[in-house]
Amino acid sequence: MNSKEMLKRLQPLIALAAMVIALSVIPETHSTFLTFSNVRNILLQISVNLSLSIGMTLVILTGGIDLSVGAILAFGGAFAAGLFKNGLSLSLFGVQVQFTVLGAVIAGILAGATLGLHNGLVITRLRLPPFVATLAMLCIARCFAMLWTNGHPVSALGEHFDFMGAGSFIGIPMAVWISVALAILFQIFSKRTPLGRYIYAVGGSEKAAKFAGLNVNNIKLWVYTLAGALAGVAGLIQTARLDTAEPNAGLGYELDSIAAVVIGGTSLSGGRGSIFGTILGCLIIGVLNNGLVLLGVSPFWQLGIKGYVIIAAVAIDNLSSRKKE
Amino acid sequence: MMRRAIPFIVLIGLAGGILWFFPLFSVVPLKRAQEEKAAATFNPQKFAETFWTDKLLPYLDKAVPAETLLPAIQHDPADAKKRFARSLGMSDSYTYFLSGTGRVIAVSDDEISLAITAGSTNAEVSLPMGMLFGNAIRDGTGLLDVNAYPNSQDFNNIANELNHLVETRVLPGLKERATVGATIHFAGCAEVDDESTDLKPLHVVPIQAEVK
Repeated sequence: MNSKEMLKRLQPLIALAAMVIALSVIPETHSTFLTFSNVRNILLQISVNLSLSIGMTLVILTGGIDLSVGAILAFGGAFAAGLFKNGLSLSLFGVQVQFTVLGAVIAGILAGATLGLHNGLVITRLRLPPFVATLAMLCIARCFAMLWTNGHPVSALGEHFDFMGAGSFIGIPMAVWISVALAILFQIFSKRTPLGRYIYAVGGSEKAAKFAGLNVNNIKLWVYTLAGALAGVAGLIQTARLDTAEPNAGLGYELDSIAAVVIGGTSLSGGRGSIFGTILGCLIIGVLNNGLVLLGVSPFWQLGIKGYVIIAAVAIDNLSSRKKE
Repeated sequence: MMRRAIPFIVLIGLAGGILWFFPLFSVVPLKRAQEEKAAATFNPQKFAETFWTDKLLPYLDKAVPAETLLPAIQHDPADAKKRFARSLGMSDSYTYFLSGTGRVIAVSDDEISLAITAGSTNAEVSLPMGMLFGNAIRDGTGLLDVNAYPNSQDFNNIANELNHLVETRVLPGLKERATVGATIHFAGCAEVDDESTDLKPLHVVPIQAEVK
């Protein structure tokens, strides 16, 4: 790796460091930004986006996109909360299945994985573009969330369920531990396992991957299923944090997740990027949001500024790619 | 063949062991589950009935006398708020719990206006006559603690049920007997959201009202 490539890889880290330094120096924010409670708050706020973005990174690495993660988040959280709170009545057998926290958590993740698998099947078997297949799933998952909850929030889940969102271990919220553990796990998975390397191969050139004997469809199925499962985890974290599962949760989260992946340096055309970059992307968005709030910038402006940060990130990436060519 | 199966057998055994100690679910008869759920479900109607009879009515003698509160509000609303009002959490609105006797100076479909101070012809207190909204009764006495209700919907439902009790138990008798010139002894709660409109007159939701 030459110095230019190294510099390119370090771009998100440099951007993050610049933002942190700026916010630590600016008079309006220097006394509040680097306090323990504010840093904890930033980490807590990015934990849901990080879980979503890990799955999104895998999808984008294959050259695809997943617009349904926000809706799957809502269904995963609502499904688990509903099972935990109300159980599953099987009138035909005259019994009710009552779920423990662990059972509900696993069910929520499996629900997300199932919807992700659905995405994968539609993309690989029906040959629909990922944009269309996941756009459809955005509606379908939201429909399931509404049907499962009757459109009402499921709340008062109790401290055991809420522990994974509201609890903490040595002062760090559990939600942060979970998302960091997932990030480390998937960084290792993407770099050190055969399936992880195949994902890069499929994104780099699907044709070449096929010629090399890879089962591209199966790899994509795994990727979309994993993205669904991770959206389920994000749904559980969000539900536990708020002590409520909202069928409308996660609206627009797919955009934050795509933004984090892109800002983190993952190429939208696939084959290039990393989970580590996505962690930085999430941190950049989290620090940016937090900084704008501390600076008292209106929420309306915050949206626009975030948009321009995404444009800048992709434009810089494109520019350096063109120079390389 | 057997050697290859050993890791899987160990894995399944391990998973089985974990699930034995941390089961994912339990199966119970539907009838029992429904009974348990009904017993565990918060019944705001029943709660409000019991609260009304057992706690609220015996507590009415703790209300601040209107003769003390109204002059205090008139003299210095901020000081009166500090001394006599209650507010929930970080809410800007607050409530007073008061009792007093007043002379009816006007009756309409919406409210009964009372003059409290001797010789006054101004409406100092108004008792609403229509449908009730808000949390005056629930929050006014300080007998109910929001932290005791993890589900905020339950807490909101208590307010609705208490308002319903006022609508069905207190207001009909008032409507029937209140005429201009009559004297009413009342005890109730007033919620102040906007000081410019809610203090003069003070809108009191009556918990008890007796027309003399």
